[in-house]
Amino acid sequence: MTQTVLIGLDGATFTVLDGFMKDQPGEGVVMPFLARMIETGYSGTLASTAHPLTPPAWTTVCTGRTPGAHGIYDFVRFEDLGDDVFFTLYDARDIRVETIWQIASHAGKTIASLNFPMMSPPPEVRGALVPGFVSWKHLRRNMYPQALFDRIKAIPGFDAKELSWDFEREGQIGDVMEDSELYRWVENHLPRDRQWFNIARTLLEEDDPDLFAVMLDGTDKIQHQAWHVLDPELWDPAKGEDARAVRALVLQYFRELDGYIEALVTAAGPEAHVIIVSDHGFTGAAKVVRINEHLGRLGYLEWRASDGSEQSRRRDMANFANLDWTRSRAFCPTPSSNGIVIRRKSEKFPGGVTEAEYESFREKLIEDLMKLTDPDTGAPVIKEILKREEAFPGAAMEESPDLTLILCDHGFVSVRNRAPTVVTRPVPLGTHHPDGIFVMTGPGVENRSGQHLSIVDTTAIMAHALGLEIPADFEGRVPATLYDPDWRAENPVRIGAARAEAGAGAVSTSKEDASAEQKEEMLAQLRLLGYIED
Amino acid sequence: MLIELNVENRLKAVLEDFIEDWGLDEPIERATTLVEDLGFDSIDVIQFIVAIETAFEQRNLGFHELIMKDGRYVDDLSLGEMVEFVEQRLRA
Repeated sequence: MTQTVLIGLDGATFTVLDGFMKDQPGEGVVMPFLARMIETGYSGTLASTAHPLTPPAWTTVCTGRTPGAHGIYDFVRFEDLGDDVFFTLYDARDIRVETIWQIASHAGKTIASLNFPMMSPPPEVRGALVPGFVSWKHLRRNMYPQALFDRIKAIPGFDAKELSWDFEREGQIGDVMEDSELYRWVENHLPRDRQWFNIARTLLEEDDPDLFAVMLDGTDKIQHQAWHVLDPELWDPAKGEDARAVRALVLQYFRELDGYIEALVTAAGPEAHVIIVSDHGFTGAAKVVRINEHLGRLGYLEWRASDGSEQSRRRDMANFANLDWTRSRAFCPTPSSNGIVIRRKSEKFPGGVTEAEYESFREKLIEDLMKLTDPDTGAPVIKEILKREEAFPGAAMEESPDLTLILCDHGFVSVRNRAPTVVTRPVPLGTHHPDGIFVMTGPGVENRSGQHLSIVDTTAIMAHALGLEIPADFEGRVPATLYDPDWRAENPVRIGAARAEAGAGAVSTSKEDASAEQKEEMLAQLRLLGYIED
Repeated sequence: MLIELNVENRLKAVLEDFIEDWGLDEPIERATTLVEDLGFDSIDVIQFIVAIETAFEQRNLGFHELIMKDGRYVDDLSLGEMVEFVEQRLRA
């Protein structure tokens, strides 16, 4: 009998969901089942990781550790070789601690984990694991166990291409689209979550795992591009026909999503604890902040000269900083990072920042960044700057950006070499907000709303609901108000030993940690065939 | 001779398994190229090298030396080139 169900809704926010749980003129109640769960269960906001981004935040849900411990900060990681910087992708082998899937498996529990990012190559578990963010071409080989693919393929309606990550389509996030184009873009996202739901229901009903978890990410993708029809403060029913059509389609997605939640909760049965969380919330961002352009003006970095070739033009347009690495002392590597990296002095980069000057260099950099203002209003565009020891304390802190920027509208920065530094978009795009959602129902769960939890609490709550000891190095807690006194007395929170720091990938691959040479090799591979042009 | 045959057969098997779901009819031969014939993109190349390393239970084959020629990155690779490279590394 399934004990614990985790349903992840990427980027879900009460800013949008609150309206969908009410009867709205002409639209009705879009998510009646979620409304009933909140009416009867425990709910509140869930504070995301210091930088509210999908890879670090879901990895925190999966590990119970903050990024400073688990080591995942972005989609892309880079290696500074002194005279060059190479970019590659984070994967499960980079996670420095165990996942809840492994911890539960080691404790004798069975699990099913579907569509969580950073889970490829998959760890060995007692049950089934299908990672998210994997191209259909590599899906079969990245499942655990591999034989699972044939079973999933037999599910009526299965389509690997619909299910999997489409790098080209998701790369359009952030592009300004006309509503007619946006309609088609949103339309393409509906089948993906249907596919994941079909797999989820099949595994839940047939395998009955002790811990069942699925992440649905249409919420995030659609909110990024269609925020103007979702934000109650921006939506105007008097907008044009195309906008109304997009809104109707988006509502259809959320109606289907509510149906998926109801079906999974029903399949799990009344004795299961059901937890719904998002990795971060959402809001609208109107400002484009070209942070490397700003750093270039201030002399912190130098752009790589273009030779005018097509390859050079494509590299300039890529979402990775393209700099003269022999002369750049501070830079932002990717838009999703919102991070500033201070480059240290080394044999290959003698112009880097020395240990002795680091603190004063960093303070001056912060001062310079905070002076950046919006030309329209004169107001600062950076709301707060977090130092790495504040944002990401832990054994993996050295891998984190030196500074993390929180923009005035929570937007992501741009790393393009384009002026002006700050511009205002005609229509706000959806961006990540630190406040996600938490909803829980099940035996003994109190009926409370308006609670405030941290994303690290999710994993502690999952472990406890499974009847496991909570590892001492988990950073979250089971809130004292979550269960009624009787249930809590019968099911006390037990703290166990800290877990060994074994990465998610290490369990299945049995590979040794990558040497510096191996890392360089991987980076070289990425550069092949134009993924990173130079 | 045994090593050559063994490596070629194993690499061919890895590649056939790798593209099993891609819906390609392309016969896999030594002359088969990853990009031109099989439509690899850069992510596929990374995944393929990981698959080879896993199959041979080695992570130190040094594929960067195959991928980089005279400081530039190659545009394509044939199965035969990869076979020769792996053979050479296994002998070393």
